[in-house]
Amino acid sequence: MPNCLEGVDPTVLTVMSKLEGALSGDLPARVQICLSEALYNLVIHAKGADASVPIDVGLTIDDDTVRLEIFDPAGAAPFDLRLHARELAQVDLMAERGRGLSLIMECADSVDYGTSNGRNRLSLGFDRREEGSASEPVN
Amino acid sequence: MIRTAVHNSEITVVRPGDARLTAMNAKTFRDEVVALIDQGTSLLVVDFKDVSFLDSSGLGALVGVLKKIGNRGEMAVCGLNNDVEQMFRICRMDRVFTIYRDSDAAVQSMNERL
Repeated sequence: MPNCLEGVDPTVLTVMSKLEGALSGDLPARVQICLSEALYNLVIHAKGADASVPIDVGLTIDDDTVRLEIFDPAGAAPFDLRLHARELAQVDLMAERGRGLSLIMECADSVDYGTSNGRNRLSLGFDRREEGSASEPVN
Repeated sequence: MIRTAVHNSEITVVRPGDARLTAMNAKTFRDEVVALIDQGTSLLVVDFKDVSFLDSSGLGALVGVLKKIGNRGEMAVCGLNNDVEQMFRICRMDRVFTIYRDSDAAVQSMNERL
């Protein structure tokens, strides 16, 4: 997706359309929250990156797990949200910002961040609650 | 962006003009609703019936509007679909905002307390 605000919602909608019918319960909502928060966080805060460098998003579904992989744009400083996210319960109810990272930690079943093939990657895992199988690269 | 309807000259129902209230448009939404408050609106219902998704920036904008109204009036929300309601619940916003099924219920409740 392009590294700009306008690129986020269409990308989220594309990913969610690929998951349509494959998830149940609160899983679609949790996936959408995490993806939206992660992408907006990257677009807004990944300073120093060449704005023309796209952000790559990958989606994998197997019987047990939905996995989102979000690759930092080349040139962006590494940012491990696990080191910065507060417990959602610790966020002031009347705060106007500061919930995004906490929401990712709250809604994803697993959160990993590190280097993959020379690129910094956020990996978010979601445990599936019903059987199903597919594999769908987004880009 | 926002759409408004005034009931009984006192209660204003606001509908975000987009299906998604996110970091993309949250500031615009907040600024437009705050402008209504600056113009004298003090009883406000935000109707989410046409909103399918709300992110943390959208929630933050709502909190900003609530803080702007403060003790001068009252604010409620309504029309939350399952995903938006889940976002409210995860972020404990159900403790902050009065939530109604739809705008009719919200307006009626506010009217009864006028």
